[in-house]
Amino acid sequence: MATVVSTETQAKVTAAPKERIAPRVEVAAPNRREFLYYIWGASIAMLLGGSGVALIWFALPRFAEGTFGGTFTLDSSRVPVPGAAPTQVPEGRFWVSNVANEGLVVLFGVCTHLGCLPKWVSTNNRFECPCHGSKFELNGKYIEGPAPRSLDRFATTITFADGTSAISDEIGDPIPIEGKIVASVAINTGRRLRRTGKN
Amino acid sequence: MSVLPFPSFLDDIKEKGLKRAVFDGVNEVVERITAGMNLQDIREALRGEAPSRKPNPRLQPHADGFWLHMRPSYFHKSVTGVYPEFRLGWLSTYFVFFETITGIFLMVFYTPSPEVAYANMLTIMSNVPLGQFMRDLHRLGAEAMVIIVTLHMLRTFLTASYKKPREFTWATGIILIFLTYFLSFSGYLLPWDQLALWAVTIGASMVEAAPPEIVGTNLNLLLRGGPDIGANGLLRFYLLHVLAVPALLFMFTGVHYYKVIIHGHSLPPKEENIGEDTAKRVPLDKRVYFIPDVLTSEIMWIAVTTLILVVLVTWFFHAPLENHADPQVTPLGTTAPWYFLWVQGALKLGDKVLWGIIFPTVLLVFFIIWPYIDTAPSRRWAHRRIQLTVGFVIMSMLVIFSYMGLAEFGVVNSADTTVMYHLTKEPAHNQVGTLRPIPFEELQAGIYTTRQFEALDESEQTTVVNAFNAELEMVNTDGGRAIAEDVLAYLGTSQNLPLSSLEVVPVSSSSRELREVVEGFAHELEINENELHNAWGLIIVTDVQDDLKRIDVVIRWEDVELENGKVVFDEAGEPVLRLDENGNTIPRLNSQHIYIHRDSQYFAAPGA
Repeated sequence: MATVVSTETQAKVTAAPKERIAPRVEVAAPNRREFLYYIWGASIAMLLGGSGVALIWFALPRFAEGTFGGTFTLDSSRVPVPGAAPTQVPEGRFWVSNVANEGLVVLFGVCTHLGCLPKWVSTNNRFECPCHGSKFELNGKYIEGPAPRSLDRFATTITFADGTSAISDEIGDPIPIEGKIVASVAINTGRRLRRTGKN
Repeated sequence: MSVLPFPSFLDDIKEKGLKRAVFDGVNEVVERITAGMNLQDIREALRGEAPSRKPNPRLQPHADGFWLHMRPSYFHKSVTGVYPEFRLGWLSTYFVFFETITGIFLMVFYTPSPEVAYANMLTIMSNVPLGQFMRDLHRLGAEAMVIIVTLHMLRTFLTASYKKPREFTWATGIILIFLTYFLSFSGYLLPWDQLALWAVTIGASMVEAAPPEIVGTNLNLLLRGGPDIGANGLLRFYLLHVLAVPALLFMFTGVHYYKVIIHGHSLPPKEENIGEDTAKRVPLDKRVYFIPDVLTSEIMWIAVTTLILVVLVTWFFHAPLENHADPQVTPLGTTAPWYFLWVQGALKLGDKVLWGIIFPTVLLVFFIIWPYIDTAPSRRWAHRRIQLTVGFVIMSMLVIFSYMGLAEFGVVNSADTTVMYHLTKEPAHNQVGTLRPIPFEELQAGIYTTRQFEALDESEQTTVVNAFNAELEMVNTDGGRAIAEDVLAYLGTSQNLPLSSLEVVPVSSSSRELREVVEGFAHELEINENELHNAWGLIIVTDVQDDLKRIDVVIRWEDVELENGKVVFDEAGEPVLRLDENGNTIPRLNSQHIYIHRDSQYFAAPGA
């Protein structure tokens, strides 16, 4: 009888402090072997990371000059006179517009709405999208329709006959020609300039 | 004493006689192949008897064999029927294998190059025995798999089977549903028809919207192999479709099923106490053994599902194939595949980055972490009102977004484009432009007009046409050009159709179908008379080569004020006309042309 009571009290006594003592975790400093494993792991991680970057670099397509995504060079004969109908270059998916008083702009020929291909309609003097009826001016500016913004442009470099050159600005405004003679136009179809709005 | 220097079959024969020796030999081979069941054990299982020897030979293949080691040796009685799981997880796995097998057959006749891919399709459909059958099965299986996998996810949500300890199983399931959608989507491009090219163009342009711009642009380049989809894009989608994504799918299917097995199939909620998970403790009287009952049922399901698919592709379903892909011609009303319509619908709400990228990503992440949000122990419906409401709200949202993704919703086409499209549409979605099925003999070179059918009486039609000719040639008093000159200049420059004069003739009464089409054209212009003010149309048929005709459709109308694609009306209810600085109306022209060859085989759509 007495033994039973004493064991019960003992159990109570030993159980109470157990709850209070926080478990101590001892962390030993890494020894040489463990440290070398970490270094080895880090170098493997870096190697894999490097390989990942190399894989992306490998898989990125490359574009030759004259294929869509690369650079196109047009000589002056393919540049329209100011105000004339734009020149279409289907393999580059673009139109070259020469707007009177504004200058030269190269428009990406894909509608900003849902990706159809607007065509130049001479009688109406504007680009008209056959799908949902968006209309754009010769300089690519939005006129009407469901398109969210004006036509996108490609980064362009104009080389003039006097040896000077001019490049597109960040939003792809027409490049002023100001009476100079155009020698050639280089169009980088890998760099598309988006307008933010309908201007 | 052995006949040969080592123990052999011949000794057995000597000892037991030929018949007995052969039987024992076969029996041993069978037991080795089944990893534990001999002929007697198999016959007992087939006859529905209890196993006569111990240990139970029907558990042996699960312990020793490779194939059955991944299947449990028994299930709980409550999860072997149709309810509550509807066999959806099992069916998903079935379709993984079904698609792999039919896909391998198709790969034999397919080369992923824009130059031959479409021709390969035609060969598969017309020149390969059972080729069309295989293609239809593969396509139907893909659509069915998308539906089944989605329903599987829905069922798991409804019975709260994602709850502890199955949170990780649910997460791998979300990855699997994503892979299923992507597999189906990447297969879309391979036939290289118009449907393929444009549905994938729309889908892939989502990737391009990923912020920041440098990431989006490069992701797009990696996926499509160029700024737009061409030979590189087709090859990349093919490799993703037949190698990379299936490899991931098999891996995640393995992980997913392993988790299902170690946690057991979750029981119907009402069979357990709240917060309890007894799936792994199946009482003896609730056990259904894999051999023979579950195995039999699975073979039956394979047979029935395959039969349903075969019946469907034989009589009710054919995989669509539209015209050859043409990056220069966008079909009107192009949409993403139906299971991505919700993304397309969301896009109509506004920003491409927000709705096209952020919204689906948030949804995906939300689904993955959902079991860690809903940690309430009860799986009973009555205790899950909020969770079920969230589920139904998301479901309704996706359904509504999908509806909004339809081509008809929120996209206003200009009337001239729509009218022209009805006349010239390439065959797609069981529709074809009305000009295309006209018999070749009826297409006599000439210029026809819708004005002819404004005559009240058939006898007056010639008079009306002559009056129209006079109107075309009439020169404005203020020195403008005659209408005919405008139209000729337009056709010459914009359409490369050099005509010397615009002499309109009435449609010959013998050309019955051409007559009907021009009359229908006139009728459509009349319906759209508000937007196409004072409109008339021309159908110009020209001979290009022997056996090749060109048909031009021209519409001319007076421009009206439009606001967001809708006609603006004045107080009198008349459309407001746009006027130039002299107060004259502004004429507009639009035209499109198609070529018809003598051997072109276009049919009016059934029921059209």
